[in-house]
Amino acid sequence: MSLRNPKLFLAIPAIALIFVFMILPITNMVDMSFRTPGQSDPFGDDYTTMHYDRIVGDAYYWGVLLRSLLTAGAVTLLCLLVSYPIAWHMSKAKGMKAVFLYACIASPLMTGVLVRNFGWMIAAALNGPLNEFLLGLGIIQQPLRLLFTQGLVILALVHVFVPFMVLPINNALRNISPTLIEASTSMGATRRQVFRDIILPLSFPGIYPGMILVYVLAVAAYVTPALLGGQMVSYMPTLIIGELTGTFQWPFGSALAIVLSVSTILVVGLFTALTARLMERSKA
Amino acid sequence: MSEATSAFSNQRAVNIGFGVLIVLLYVFLMAPLVMIVGASFTNGLLIEFPPQGLSLRWYVEFFDRQDLVDGLLLSLRIGAVTAIVTMTVAMMAAMAGQVISGRLSGWFQLGMTLPLLVPELLTAVGLLFFLYKIQLAKTVMGLQMGHILMSFPYAYVSIAAAMRQVPASLEEASASMGATGWQTFRLVILPLVMPGLAMGGIFAFINSFDLYTISLLLKPLGGNTLPLALFDFLTYEFKPTAAAAATLSILLSILGVALVQKLVGLQRAF
Repeated sequence: MSLRNPKLFLAIPAIALIFVFMILPITNMVDMSFRTPGQSDPFGDDYTTMHYDRIVGDAYYWGVLLRSLLTAGAVTLLCLLVSYPIAWHMSKAKGMKAVFLYACIASPLMTGVLVRNFGWMIAAALNGPLNEFLLGLGIIQQPLRLLFTQGLVILALVHVFVPFMVLPINNALRNISPTLIEASTSMGATRRQVFRDIILPLSFPGIYPGMILVYVLAVAAYVTPALLGGQMVSYMPTLIIGELTGTFQWPFGSALAIVLSVSTILVVGLFTALTARLMERSKA
Repeated sequence: MSEATSAFSNQRAVNIGFGVLIVLLYVFLMAPLVMIVGASFTNGLLIEFPPQGLSLRWYVEFFDRQDLVDGLLLSLRIGAVTAIVTMTVAMMAAMAGQVISGRLSGWFQLGMTLPLLVPELLTAVGLLFFLYKIQLAKTVMGLQMGHILMSFPYAYVSIAAAMRQVPASLEEASASMGATGWQTFRLVILPLVMPGLAMGGIFAFINSFDLYTISLLLKPLGGNTLPLALFDFLTYEFKPTAAAAATLSILLSILGVALVQKLVGLQRAF
């Protein structure tokens, strides 16, 4: 590669777009989080650590942060449970069947989050299909109030993020060579052994990015809790948006956003460290 | 013998169980969309599934509602500009990406997809402050920039994938026969990457059409995109008009899926 290749200059608009409108503004948020509250403006001219002191010193914010982190964890694990069988089934499909299955994954993916959440509002009505389904299975005896519960928020978030998990796992599964499985079966491995010792480790390069992406996006998801969560429970994103648009406390809102980001990065780092050995195995 | 038969029937039971599970999971994926479409055709006054009778009255109602129609028009306009700008910028970036090699190439890919990997909320908050600083806060122009940024990775990924399929030898051959750089681009590269480019534009348009959080923070004075108008409508009125609006949005995404299948095939696109 030569740095003088004139084609490299073609990247300038894209780099400028991402640098000026994304990297700079997000870095600027750190500065904003140390500003004093403004009088007529949304922020003041001086610097202070008061916003962080306020968050750290108030159990309420710890509670909301914990709820956001745990909810996203639950969403990620449920997503994995839902996505793995779908990805497995998809990775075996060929021809028109494969096209149909891809369309079933792509259509929800290309429909807006708000619209899909709205679908769950219809499903969760007191005499709606979800209650009918649960009554029919005999799991519940009378219709439940499902709307504006944490359970529905989690269900709707799982629905939003399943395609993000299915696609990388499906790609990883498609990359496993069938001869490897044939070889181990011919050497007497049971189906369970083949799955545990070969398929699962080899699909980890798809599971890992899927889980990270879903977790990071789920922690910061705003629409779903805002629409389906009701007024009773708060999540970090609803608090942040409230500070920014409702009370115009930009510095405090920024501090909340940074606390959320740092916590997310810590969780992702911890997860990466814990699964480092699995990742090594998949490369061997 | 009997042991073998029971192992065989066990295997059958497992297969049937797995089949049922798969069907249930696909029902879970499609159910919300099916319910919206169903509810939009109701003849009753409530949003419900299954619908009460069949009618198109809520579609008529939708097109009578100035706030929702204005939202639809603004969303279409912003989506169209987003598609054109991201296709151009992503095409240029993908051509530059071709000549970057080795470790730097990975970083370049990562950088180009950054708006997809960082939560929309953070980008939106950062942009809100930035637009305030450059005096573009609460303008359509500012909202447009946000949509271009958020949709750029979708265009880039599709176009870069198409560019990788173009053999470098073609370009060399064209140059050796005396074509200028622009001629090579227009007559050789562009026709080959056209399906990927169109797909990138479709993805960018649909992504822009669906964005919510960034539009909420950057929304212009007196202007609502369709998702913003729909959220307000759901909060204050909750009538089947909302299902009609949402069905139009689902129709758009199904159209997008069909176009992508026709252009490059869903399997290669995802």
